[in-house]
This record gives sequence, C-alpha cells and structure tokens, in this order.
Amino acid sequence: MSGEAIGLLMLATLIVTIFVGFPISFTLLVLAVAFGYWGMGRVVFDLMVFQTLGLMKEETLAAVPLFIFMGYILEQSGLMERLFRAFQFILAPVRGSLYVGVILTATIFAMATGIVGAAVTVLGIMAGPIMMKSRYDVRLSAGAIAAGGTLGILIPPSVMLIVMGPVIGVSVVQLYAAAFGPGLLLAGMYIVYTLARSYLDPRLGPALPAEARATSAGQIVREFLVGMLPLGALIFATLGSILAGLATPTEAAAMGATGSLVLTAIYREFTVARFRGAVVKTLTTSSMVLFLAVTSNVFGAVFARLGTATLMTNTLLGLQLPPTAMMVLLMALIFLLGWPFEWPAIVLVFVPIFLPLVQALKFDLILFGTLVAVNLQTAFLSPPVAMSAYYLKSVAPSWELRDIYAGMMQFMVLQVIALLLVVLFPDIALWLPARLFR
Amino acid sequence: MAHVPPSLLRIIRAVDAFSDRTGRLVAWCIVPLFAGLTYEVVSRYGFDAPTEWAFDVTYMLYGTHFMLGAAYTLLRGAHIRTDMFYEKFSFRTKGWVDALGYLVFFFPAMVFLFVAGWDAFLVSWRMVERSEISPWRPVIYPFKGVIPLTALLLLVQGVSEFLKSLHMALTGTPYEEKETVLV
Repeated sequence: MSGEAIGLLMLATLIVTIFVGFPISFTLLVLAVAFGYWGMGRVVFDLMVFQTLGLMKEETLAAVPLFIFMGYILEQSGLMERLFRAFQFILAPVRGSLYVGVILTATIFAMATGIVGAAVTVLGIMAGPIMMKSRYDVRLSAGAIAAGGTLGILIPPSVMLIVMGPVIGVSVVQLYAAAFGPGLLLAGMYIVYTLARSYLDPRLGPALPAEARATSAGQIVREFLVGMLPLGALIFATLGSILAGLATPTEAAAMGATGSLVLTAIYREFTVARFRGAVVKTLTTSSMVLFLAVTSNVFGAVFARLGTATLMTNTLLGLQLPPTAMMVLLMALIFLLGWPFEWPAIVLVFVPIFLPLVQALKFDLILFGTLVAVNLQTAFLSPPVAMSAYYLKSVAPSWELRDIYAGMMQFMVLQVIALLLVVLFPDIALWLPARLFR
Repeated sequence: MAHVPPSLLRIIRAVDAFSDRTGRLVAWCIVPLFAGLTYEVVSRYGFDAPTEWAFDVTYMLYGTHFMLGAAYTLLRGAHIRTDMFYEKFSFRTKGWVDALGYLVFFFPAMVFLFVAGWDAFLVSWRMVERSEISPWRPVIYPFKGVIPLTALLLLVQGVSEFLKSLHMALTGTPYEEKETVLV
C-alpha cells in the first residue's frame, strides 16, 4: 500500500476512534506510531522523539502556562466583581445597563486572561442574582453572560492564538494584533444588540432601582479609581509591551503574572491556599493543552511524511473552486467541527491538515488564523454541547437550560454575522498589524 | 453485583497518592518560570544586563512542567475527550470503553514513547550533549530524560485509571468524580 493511502487510512481511523470518547492525546499517539511504522518503518520512533522535543523547546509556548496562571490568579482576586460594580454604578440609569456591564466586564477581563476558565461561572455568580432581582430577561441575561464570558479565548492574550501561531507558522504578536479588531467588534455588537433590545422593549432590561445605584458621585469615582484603573494599567503594560515589541509574549506573560500577584496582594486578597490552588490548576490546564500539542504534532508529522497532506491538497485544488468559495467552505467545515470538538483538538489536529491547502491558495495566513479563532469562539455557544451552558446552569439553577440555550443562540447569530463581516472586510483584522509592523 | 477485590482498591489508592504528590511538586515549576523571566526583563531594561540563562531555563521549565504534569492531569481526568456520545453512555459502557481504550491505545502508546525516549536519552547522556541554541550551552540530557520519565509516570497512573475503568464497568458506578476544565 502506498504511503498516501496509509495516511488516509490513519485519518479515517482517527475520525472513527476519536468519537468513541477516549482521551484524544493517547489515541493520536498510538495511531501515529502504528500507521507510521507501517508506512516508514523504525524511523517513526525517531520522528516521535524529535517532534516531542521540538515542541518542548518551543519557547513561545511557555506563554501558555504563564497566561493561564495569570488568569487563575486574577480570577481569585475579586477584580472582576469590582469591575462589574464599577460599571453597574456608572451605567445604572441606562436601560439594559446590566447587560452592558456584564459585557464590558467580560471584555476587559478577557484582555487579562488567556482562557475562558471560570469567567462564565464568576459572571453568573455575581451578575445573575442582580439581573434576576432587577427583572432582566432570562434569555438575554444568559446569552450576554455566556457570550461575554467566552470572549477570553479570542481577545489577546488568548492562549488559543499562542498555540495557533506555531501551528500555522505565523508570529503570535501578529495574530494578537489581528484579533483585537474582531474581538472588539464582537463585544461592540453584543452591546449594541442588548441596548437596542432594551430600548425597544424596556421590560427586557429596565433601569436599575435606587438600591442598586451608587449613593453619591464620590462612590462612582472611587469604584472607578480602585476597581478599574489598576487592572487597566496591568493590561496596558502586558499587551502594550507585546505590541510595541518591547517583550516577547512569553516575557510579557511572566511580567503579567508577577503584576497580577502584586495587584492581588494590594487588594489584600492574597492567601497561600489560593496561590497553591492557582499553581495546581495551571498545571492541569496547560498540560492538557500542551500534551495534546505534542501528540498531535507527532500525528501531523507522520501524516505529512506519508504524503497524504499533499495528495489531499492537490485533490482539493483540482476542484478549481474560486479561492473565496474555498475559504467559505473551510470555515463552514471548521464551524461544524466546533460542534463535537473543543478548540484544542481543532487548532492542533485539523487546522494542520487544512494548512497546505490554505498555503497553496496563497491566503493571508494571519487572516486565516484570525478567522479560525473567531469561528471557534462560536463553538462555545453552539448547542447541544456548549459547556458554558452547563456552567451557567450550575451557578444560576433557577434559569432553565432551554432559556440559556435560546439566549446563547441569539448571540451565536451575532457571531456568525461578525465572521462574515471579517471575511468581507479583512481590514477589520489586518488594519492593526499593518499599522504596527510595516 | 460484581465486586472489586480490596487489593485492587489499595493499588488504586497508592498510585493516585503517588501521582498526586509528584503532580503537585511539578506544578511549582511555574514559579521559577515567571520569576526567572521577570528577573530577566527587569535586569535587561532596568540595569541593561540581560541574563545568559533566561532563554534555556525558560523552555526547560516549560517543557518539564507540562510533560511531567501529564500524569497528574490524567489523575484529574482533564485530558480532553470527545464526549458527544461518551456523555450519554451508561457508567458500565463508559467503563468498558475506557478499559479497552487503556489496553488498545494508552499502554501501547506510552510503551512506545518510553522506549524511544529512553534510547534518545541514553545517546544524549553518553555524549554529555549540550544545547546548541544559545551561547550558554547547558547540558541537555536531563531535559531529554523528561520524555521517558513522562511516559513512565503516565504508565504508572494508567494502571490506576485502567483499574478504575474496570471498577466502573463491573459495578456500574464510577470510582470517583473527575473534573472538567473549560479552556
């Protein structure tokens, strides 16, 4: 049997076995070694060690545990609560103010953390009760919390983009610069949508009652200075130093982790138990992502060496579709994959398979990476396997799962519109990197 | 109801305790990782004195951290699955799927990784290989040793997980609750 055919068989076996539900990492590794040995003999063992070591030496990826650590530290610091209260006080007289407060809090927090983590949970715990008490619409509330809470995976310092950089061979800094536009576009669309709905039907999001407002203008100023400014400064320093080229993402992540520890100490929220908790949670989260990166790297290398990638690319190119149609097709495929799979599997296993095609069509790789990222953010909101719905349900038990889904669907429609906007107007993504790195 | 011999439960508890302890130890790699890099940046911009070790120390700590942490991650049940169908299985079915998965996928994969990694480590150790990517040139064989050690730790924890899946398959109840991580 030819190498290409063995590779195709390997891919088919993967797709069948992956659905059985055994942890993907181990399935990938054993298939890569077994089919690799069949196709190329003992060399596969050297290839496995070489690829593993290569990933272990990828200094850029050291930013993954560091940004995850920074996020866990900040999650426990009570900063999100302060941020939310500040927005609540400032926006109180506006209809739909709590929606906007949730989304703005989530957006700012997303700029300080690299993963979704507990964002949905924390937002649900702190905003859920007051939204219910203020008679906010359940669906719109749940949708705003779930959609806002998952922005962390798209807006820099997104861990998904750090992992995507080496996979598609683009600098993480460029991907970061490109993700700002779409990320802020999404946040803006959420805000406009909730404001418009509340304006048209005030029952959905009434202005807040007196007891939920600030007692004086001084209190508003104080919440702003204490709750917003320090975190804002930390975000500005961390992301700013990356975009300005003063520090690599890895260095900035380390500085950000140190900075968030300092902030936590200043707010008197630092305890040894919390610190140890963040240390241990960082290990499981980053090891899950990065060990999968290792095994899918081995799988991808075997797949490429067997020549199957080239075969598939040539076949697809033979279809003679116009490049834009091909891109839309690819995005539709990734959207569908986002239903059963979580982003690490898609970015690490499937994107490398499509990559030669994207390169052959001479697509802008930065744009491609950004589109994949926006696309995968929708996966967090697509029922029936949207984890964020379960998280929200567990902290807001009085909300029906049906209503949570109905709310999430509304925001998913907004995301699909945003994705189409970025396809039609690539400058939304490419403007900032073009300005920064001419 | 089928029943699991106490001796097997003792093995599960002993292995889990071992992986729990090694995992919590490895987790602390994150502290020198962020502290070392912070020192490097401050030293570079504050005192115009970049360190010569920061680059190598960074990737070595990062690589050791997530690789050696893989066994602890397995203990916590955090390696991602595709749970579209798995979630709907009964506990017995889940148990059989896992037991079979460990035998057919997990153990062979980890034995391959251990043997190949061990060979590479021996070669590197005998020639006292040094890193060629930086002027500091630290010895690289301990770092290469991380690969077979990772496989070994995973194999050990895999024994416990295999027994747990048999437990679930035979009794119809899970041995423990696993956590899910939302990335």
